[in-house]
Amino acid sequence: MAEGPRRRLQLMSILLIGLALVLVAQLTQVQVVNHQFYDDWGREQRERIIAVAAPPRGVIRDRNGCLLAGNEVMYAIEADTVYVVDVEGAAAQLAPLLHMPASQIARRLKSDAPWIQLASPVPKEVGERVAELGLQGITVCPLWVRRYPEGDLASHLLGFCNAEGRGFYGVEGFHDGLLQPKKVDRAGPVDLTSDQVPWTVAPVMLPQAGDELILSIDRTVQAVVEEELMRAVYQYQATSGTIIVMDPRTFEVLAMASLPDYAPGRYNEFYTFDRPPFDDPAVSKQYEPGSVFKVLTVAAALDSGAVTPEMTYYDQGWIEVGGVVIWNAYDMVGQHDVADILIHSLNVGAAWLSTRMGRDSFYRYVMAFGIGRPTGIDVAGEAAGQLWLPEDYEHWHDSNLGTNAFGQGLAVTPIQMIAAVATVANGGVRLRPHVVGQRIGPDGAVTAYRTVVEAQVISPETAQIVTDMMERAVEDAGRIGLEGYRIAGKSGTAQIPVPGGYDRERTITSFVGFGPLPDPQLIILVKLDRPGTSSWASETAVPAFRQLAERLFVVLGIPPDDSQMAQGAQAAVR
Amino acid sequence: MPNFMEWATHGIKRGRFEMDHCMVMRVGAVVVTVTLLAALYLALVSQTAARGRHIQQLQAELSRLQRDSEQLEVDIARAGSISSLRERALALGLGAAEEVVFLPLTAP
Repeated sequence: MAEGPRRRLQLMSILLIGLALVLVAQLTQVQVVNHQFYDDWGREQRERIIAVAAPPRGVIRDRNGCLLAGNEVMYAIEADTVYVVDVEGAAAQLAPLLHMPASQIARRLKSDAPWIQLASPVPKEVGERVAELGLQGITVCPLWVRRYPEGDLASHLLGFCNAEGRGFYGVEGFHDGLLQPKKVDRAGPVDLTSDQVPWTVAPVMLPQAGDELILSIDRTVQAVVEEELMRAVYQYQATSGTIIVMDPRTFEVLAMASLPDYAPGRYNEFYTFDRPPFDDPAVSKQYEPGSVFKVLTVAAALDSGAVTPEMTYYDQGWIEVGGVVIWNAYDMVGQHDVADILIHSLNVGAAWLSTRMGRDSFYRYVMAFGIGRPTGIDVAGEAAGQLWLPEDYEHWHDSNLGTNAFGQGLAVTPIQMIAAVATVANGGVRLRPHVVGQRIGPDGAVTAYRTVVEAQVISPETAQIVTDMMERAVEDAGRIGLEGYRIAGKSGTAQIPVPGGYDRERTITSFVGFGPLPDPQLIILVKLDRPGTSSWASETAVPAFRQLAERLFVVLGIPPDDSQMAQGAQAAVR
Repeated sequence: MPNFMEWATHGIKRGRFEMDHCMVMRVGAVVVTVTLLAALYLALVSQTAARGRHIQQLQAELSRLQRDSEQLEVDIARAGSISSLRERALALGLGAAEEVVFLPLTAP
């Protein structure tokens, strides 16, 4: 080959090799060095996270299957402004459906934002009619909205769910994790308009609705309880009140109501910045229980062997414990046995019992009854109450041993108090109170509530003795008067602690009773705060209990004992 | 440009390739195989896409039915709520029983 062409050929070869090297270098840069960046960039353009239509939140039902919290479908009307071709036409068609001026819709559709929400939430019918229009660039997205078909029934117990689908307070808050739907998101190819392209078969896994909860609540009992609570608060001019109805054999809550309440479907209308009324007072509001607590003191003293039922003491009307003089509410000077402490509600007698027991034994029993710590009920926001123990040397004083014995100087929640007394009704066995009876998974698997035994606090024999004493207390007082039903119970009129002492005028009145004996099926706690007509439980909480128990025995089909039934039948025949 | 190409290729002797019959058969076989594989691949992809679309439609239908079902349940619960029943009972002139008597059933 001649010299000239050879040189040119070499030059061309070097040029081509150089170009090839540049290309290889660039490819290495793209494919190796910046591989991740370009891989992500590409995926970002061709793939989107495709959320399969969200399933609903789990529903809540009462023990008979009646819906207490369900889901309603509403729609959000949205627009991809880039893809809206005929803005004026779309606005004119949407205006009458969305009840918005066409000019306003058109102005929004012409905005620079690539995505706008025109209206949300709109009713199902409106959403479906907008979808039928088939307007380009207008999308209709279904939304789940929580609904409470029973209105404000059991509002505190249920809690509520916000617009984002999160549960707060009550059962909604406590079991939010179970009620939340299990969403399924997956990456998939999309076209230019971000619509899904089915190049790949969708995964078989579908999103699952949240678990369904079957409560132990009976909505009819709940309605009766709320009606009676409303009547009692109004009749006795109380500022607020709480009623709990429970089955003492299982510690299932049948009804739980507090006033003032709210409507969970319109919770935002009830919100106040300083004191939102959403906490359930039945599990979160602490109060000094007063004389109802004597039931626990008597049970503890008898069970520990510190006293026997026959043992008597001389009541001089006062007793000094830790330098503090404790007085009876009434003049009851004389010889009394242990039952009299409940029958006549003797503060001095209660303090005598606790001092005979000694502080270690007394507080061991008080804690075993569940005082001073949450019961573990499955309702959000439960408070622990307040119980100072001798080792809390900054707060506990020797006098506490005497005052605590009749329910002063400590604080309980209504659920703690009823659970403690239910322990006596249940043969001395304390169970964990609960409101959820069953859980049904999205696959239909049923998980029943498993009874949790907390402690055998007192012996069955002691429980029977205390029950008999409580029955005598009710009979001797003669205020319950439910013909054909044997009831055991104890009332309490508690002073309200204020800075520097106790309120001199206002009280908290309560009554806890269970029946019908000998196999109690119901235990009821009635608590009224600051009643205006009378300061005494005997004139407020006790008649409220009587009225409620009378109705509940009928609603639940609990007949009076045989002799009473026979008399009733004869009267009916006559 | 023609001058440049002429300058670059000047003096390069163009090669002559003789077609080998056997070689042509082999190349033909490869082309046919690749074509068949490509057709099979396309058929599979289109089938997959069709199934994917069908599943999408079923999922949409399932969601719609679920929405209708939930809506109906809420509507039924509202119609049968305690307050609705109370209103209807009052409208019918019904009221609470003043006295309830339990009658014992004696075995025959």
